Amino acid sequence: MKQTLRNPWVYVIMVVPTLVLYSLFFIYPMATSSYYAFTDWNGLSDYSFIGLQNFIDVFSDKDFLHAIRNNMLFIVFSVFVQVPLIIIFALLIASVKRLQRLYKTTVFIPSILSTSVIGILWGFVLHPNIGPINKMLSFFGIEPVFWLADSKWALPSVLIVNAWQWMGFYIVLILAAILALPKEMNEAAEIDGASGFQRAWYLTVPLIKPIISVVVMLSIAGAMRVVDIVLVMTKGGPVGATEVMASYLVNEALGVNPNYGLGTAISLIIFVFALLLTAIYQRTFGRTED
Amino acid sequence: MKKLLMTVIMLVLVSTTVLTACGGNNGGNQQGNNTSNSNSSTSNSNSTPDPSSPTDTDKKAEPFTVSLRHIQIGEAQKFRKAILDDVVAKTEAEVPGLTFELEGVEDSVNRFTKLPAEMAAGNPPKIFDLFGGEGDALKYGAAGRLLDLAPILEELGLSNSFLNLDQFTLDGKVYGLPIGGNIEGFYYNEEIFATLGLPEPKTWAELEQAAQTLTDNGYTAFAMGSKGAWVPLMLVNTLIGRYAGPESISGFSSGEAKWNSPEVVAAYAKYEEWVKKGYFTKGELGFEYADMLNEFLTGKAGMMFDGSWRSSVFSDETQAGALTNKVGFFTMPAVEGGVGDQTYVNGNYSNGYGFSSDLNEQELVAVKAFIKNMYSEEMQLRGLLEDGVLPSIKLSSDALSKVEDKIVKKVITIMGEAGGAFSHFDSTVQSSVYKETEDTILKLIAGQETAQSVADQLQAVQDKANQE
Repeated sequence: MKQTLRNPWVYVIMVVPTLVLYSLFFIYPMATSSYYAFTDWNGLSDYSFIGLQNFIDVFSDKDFLHAIRNNMLFIVFSVFVQVPLIIIFALLIASVKRLQRLYKTTVFIPSILSTSVIGILWGFVLHPNIGPINKMLSFFGIEPVFWLADSKWALPSVLIVNAWQWMGFYIVLILAAILALPKEMNEAAEIDGASGFQRAWYLTVPLIKPIISVVVMLSIAGAMRVVDIVLVMTKGGPVGATEVMASYLVNEALGVNPNYGLGTAISLIIFVFALLLTAIYQRTFGRTED
Repeated sequence: MKKLLMTVIMLVLVSTTVLTACGGNNGGNQQGNNTSNSNSSTSNSNSTPDPSSPTDTDKKAEPFTVSLRHIQIGEAQKFRKAILDDVVAKTEAEVPGLTFELEGVEDSVNRFTKLPAEMAAGNPPKIFDLFGGEGDALKYGAAGRLLDLAPILEELGLSNSFLNLDQFTLDGKVYGLPIGGNIEGFYYNEEIFATLGLPEPKTWAELEQAAQTLTDNGYTAFAMGSKGAWVPLMLVNTLIGRYAGPESISGFSSGEAKWNSPEVVAAYAKYEEWVKKGYFTKGELGFEYADMLNEFLTGKAGMMFDGSWRSSVFSDETQAGALTNKVGFFTMPAVEGGVGDQTYVNGNYSNGYGFSSDLNEQELVAVKAFIKNMYSEEMQLRGLLEDGVLPSIKLSSDALSKVEDKIVKKVITIMGEAGGAFSHFDSTVQSSVYKETEDTILKLIAGQETAQSVADQLQAVQDKANQE
């Protein structure tokens, strides 16, 4: 057996199945997508090679540029609103002495619910006529707000629901990191007279920076590929107000006038965007080891 | 030698594993091959079993299933679903071994999401809900995905039975069968109209006066759910038929009519004017088609523009509640200065069933039996009486005289008095143009576009589509 393992071909054979599966489910779809992205394939008729026309069409469509802007807003909201809130909640839960498991479970529940359930649930909550939020506002004499039908409110509503869905998952991640820290440091700081805020800001947060970095990166990647909550709640509407790149893809590739060539071109654009943003983050803010 | 042997054994093991994983669907492929073999034998054979007497009692039939996709979901479609269930039961009883696998899917999800993807993959259900026209039946038919029904209709003696197969016919081939006909018009709440002293609008001035009075009194003039753009487009379509004439609808794709002609712009401008006057449901862009009906049924709206297929709701107490039999129907009045015959109605025979071209011999028998039962005088009359859907096949005057529902009676009267019918432009224009009409109407409603800018954009897309 020892002699067998010295043969480099044995290792080649061992990795072949993985490589085959990887090629089958990643390389091959990517390669065919790359090919179809340069065609006018509509799924039914014969197609022809049209060069960069799909990419030109996409980037000259202001609806797509609006979708990119919305994706960026998702990222900004995730990184600058969601992540700080996640850290604050994780610190708060970590510092409670009683019912910590209850809080942990409670915040985690939304992330195990299906997006469809969340979309429909929040559809009721935000309903202009029967939704509890508008009922409460009407108590103060405020006119019904069309949360999902008004271009002003639709995107903030979806952002908040999306954050509500995923914050619990990240809170639990960060909480695990906080609870894994040695208690002695915190106690020593407390004896030295550091306040709760000082201990959190100067001690805990720097120590969990690597996991925060991972959360930020996952949030960026998640914001780039967000689509399900948008499709369930607004289908990208009203009038493209909540359209993101992936929902634009769905509406173009399928929908009234299916255009798979264009769809695959958009999928490549999303892939490149996500890759670039993640790489930029990793090369800059995400370098925790330095 | 030992090393070589070990290497060879491992190679064989790995290859076997990979090949086994890849070949997991062999059975399915085999079946697929059988299916295509049967198909070719079916097409080569002239002795297709007679669906009217398909039972061969001497031979125990092999069980088989036929997938059937319908859109009869929800309370409002319960009458139509009951008819479908009866047809399914009757067909299963007639064809030995047959079991239908029914799948209910929401209309627009089926039409715009599932079916296009299945057509691209070449695996649509065997029987499915299908719309006629350029973007649906004719496109799929030309791509070879749909069964040509002309020979089957001839075999079943139904060739001359259908009132209108235009939207399903291409080069003499019939790619689908409409389940019924319909016209589109305004439903109105008779109680609210009586309270406000409003007559049933017969002229354009009366219609606009009614809308204004309703708005002034805190009612929504026209209930509308524009989350799906096809809903407001029903009204736009009819406005175009009035302002630009019935011929304009079919003239866009031939280049004879222009979207940015003053008449079509006037139609869009009227819609824009009504939006600005607040005649439609507040926040309509966030409401679904079903919400529109709910708003009307709860007495918050005075009128609703919809198809005659909705009529059965208003005679069903469980759905209409206090509004049962208190709803009237009228078609869009003539527009002053409108082009062409102003008595034309927005009428369609566009929704029905299509059938996959990929059928084996047994499935073909089942399809024929399904057509025979679904498009029988009995079921068509039931559709008319129970569901308020106009028949798609010719019925005797005796049968038609059985209609008691006042809206259906009114619809039949309107159709009798109409000079003709123009169809939906979704069945006459190219898919790319229709998509643009959907995108632009929502922008018009949101105030992001004007009637003129919408018309110009549509014409640009139309020109491009006509050149292709």
